Formats: sequence, structure tokens, C-alpha cells
Amino acid sequence: MSDKTNTPREITFRVRRFDPDTDSAPHWSEYRQHVHDGMTVLEALHQLKAEQEPTLSWRSSCRMGVCGSCGMFINELPQLACQTQVLHLGTDVVSIAPLPNYDNVKDLVPDLAPLIEKHAAIKPYIIYTDQIEIDSPTGEFLQTPEEREAFSQFTHCIKCGLCLAACPTVATDPLFLGPQALAQAYRYTADNRDCGMKERIEAIDIFHGPYQCHFAGACSQACPKGVDPAFGIQLLKRALVLDSIGFGKKKSLLAKVMPLADVVKAIEEFAPPPRTV
Amino acid sequence: MRETRLWSVHLLVIPIIVVLLGAHFAVMHYAPVFYGVSIEEARNFETMIERGRSVAQLVLYILLLAAALYHGLYGLRGILRELTLTPGLGKIVDTSIILLGLFIFALGAYVTWWTFSFKIGG
Repeated sequence: MSDKTNTPREITFRVRRFDPDTDSAPHWSEYRQHVHDGMTVLEALHQLKAEQEPTLSWRSSCRMGVCGSCGMFINELPQLACQTQVLHLGTDVVSIAPLPNYDNVKDLVPDLAPLIEKHAAIKPYIIYTDQIEIDSPTGEFLQTPEEREAFSQFTHCIKCGLCLAACPTVATDPLFLGPQALAQAYRYTADNRDCGMKERIEAIDIFHGPYQCHFAGACSQACPKGVDPAFGIQLLKRALVLDSIGFGKKKSLLAKVMPLADVVKAIEEFAPPPRTV
Repeated sequence: MRETRLWSVHLLVIPIIVVLLGAHFAVMHYAPVFYGVSIEEARNFETMIERGRSVAQLVLYILLLAAALYHGLYGLRGILRELTLTPGLGKIVDTSIILLGLFIFALGAYVTWWTFSFKIGG
């Protein structure tokens, strides 16, 4: 039986409102709302908008912690509204504000442009330098489970921007690349198929790069996907130092190309059994 | 220069500072323990000049000056540049720190060299 049959509890929502067309500064508005067990902050906001405040704005999409759109500052912590249950917060008053360390577009909508720009700056894709192989692939790249494990957790990033909102360094130094971009820089440089360290160095080996991290660890605490960006930054530092003294990871990518004929053979070998129905 | 190199050097000088500062403390502050002379005797003008004329002292203090200056000014640059919001101001901070460092190093090195080449009574 669903917990939604439980008696609803009345909760006060303190929501920070801001309309750039009419307001000169943000202000707080309070709404009282019945909340049942299992109800998320996002559901509560939808109900609030439907029943009390139709002009309230926020950004959301998937409702299942995948798209990373609904990051908000809930009870003074950056969290995904769709993953945060109101009654689990344990307070009778729930404060909801837009994510800090970003400009405020309207109400609970942060301007995530800096997050995207920093992410793009570190070239978040596999860079392969053999143009002949790119133009005329002779096979597929092999990657062992161990090689994948080296960066696996960092692939879970959904670019919600909670880590940047939690980061005390971003608060004082807006030019700091931040935990998201730096962890992704590590994710790609640690990938055995990537040869992009030299191209990325220009973007990451700068004053506002990994060495600005104060290692508060707030990013790792805030991440809703269990990624540990603070650890990623430390790994990136190690990779950069080793690279700077000539002990960087040597990659022999061509040796790891699996010829297409072998790929076909492997597919046949590991093909599922024929259907019986 | 790549930030990695600047950062690595700032870490590498830490053990150098620890060793040289230890030597400085042993000579200047713990002379009764290590050399069996009183603090007053270790710090009087003649003793200091005498000590300053040794090559070991010259090398120790110039190295300590360089290492401590680099480490300290790298930290100061970090604090200042974290407050700096434009790349242009960042470059000004970098240049000022380099000039300040060179000035202090030149001053310190001159004093150390002056002591090294000082002739009592001459």
C-alpha cells in the first residue's frame, strides 16, 4: 500500500521569488501546503503552482534525477527537487531558493551558462590524434574493465551544477573552473582511448584550474549521483604533475585497435542464443 | 609557465624550508643546546659577522631566502588572485608579485653578501 494514504501534513514553504521585469531585488514568499509522505519538493512545487501561485517559475524535466534540471537550494543545501522528499527534510518550514553561485534568471531558475561554458572549455570528448584512423577506421578500440574503472564514476555526472553551487571557491572566484569541469577533464584524460592531454592543458593548467581547489569536499557531498569531484580534482593534479615532468600516461592507442574482422568475429562469438519463441 | 610547475615548486621548497629553517633555529635560537654558547653570545655582532663570513652561512641564507620568498609569495599571489575578477588584474598581480619577490631577494642577498664580505676593523 502506498504511503500516500497517510494523513497529509501542513508544511510552510518559504520560496525566494524574483521577477527581473518587476522586482529590483529578490524577496521571500510563504505558502502553506499539505504534503503527504513520499512527496518530493518538485511535486510540492507543481501543486503549489497549480493551486496557489501560477506565476512561480523553476526548471525541471525528467522527475527522476537523470536530467539534472531541477537543482535548487533547499533548506540551505543544493539538492535536486525531484530527489528530495519534503518530509525527509524534517522541518515544518522548507526554504527553497535558486542555486547560489549562479545569476538568477527568475524565481528558482539559475543561469547555468557558466557551468556549460566551463564544461565546454575543457574539451569534454575523446580526442584522438591519428587523423587517418579517424577518417578511415580500421577497427574498434579496446578497453578493459580496469581501464574503464579508472574514470567510471565520473561518467555519472548529469551536469546539474549542484557541485558548483556548493563550492566555496566558486563563491569567491567565479573564474575557477569548478568541480564539474575539472572532474570531467580527469574523466577524459584518464580514458585510455584519449590523447587530448596536450590540447586540454591550455584550458586546465591555469591559475583558476585544479590548484585553486581548497578541498572543502562540499562538491562531493552535494552530488546527487554519488560522483566524487573533489577526488577527481586530486587525480587530475597528479596526472598534470606527472605529465609536466615527463611521466605522463603513455598511450599506445593504435596497438589497442581491434581490427574490424575481429570485431565481427567477437560479435558472432558472443552473440545471444537464437530466439526460441 | 604552466601552473602545475609553479604549484609543484611551491610544494618542493617546503622540505628545503624545513631543513634550512631548522639550521637557522639551531644557530640563532638553540645555540645553548647545539653549540654550548649562550643566546646573547650567539647573537652578538662579532659572532654574527664571524658566522656570516662562512660560505655555508652564505649558501644557507640565500637558499632559505629564495625558498621562503617563493613559497610565501606564491601563497600571497593565490590569495590576491582569488579576489581578482578580471584576467587583466590577474596579470598585474602576477607582475607585481614577481617584482616584489625580485626586490626582496636582491635586498636579502645583498645583506647576506655584505655580511659575507665584511672585514672586521677594515
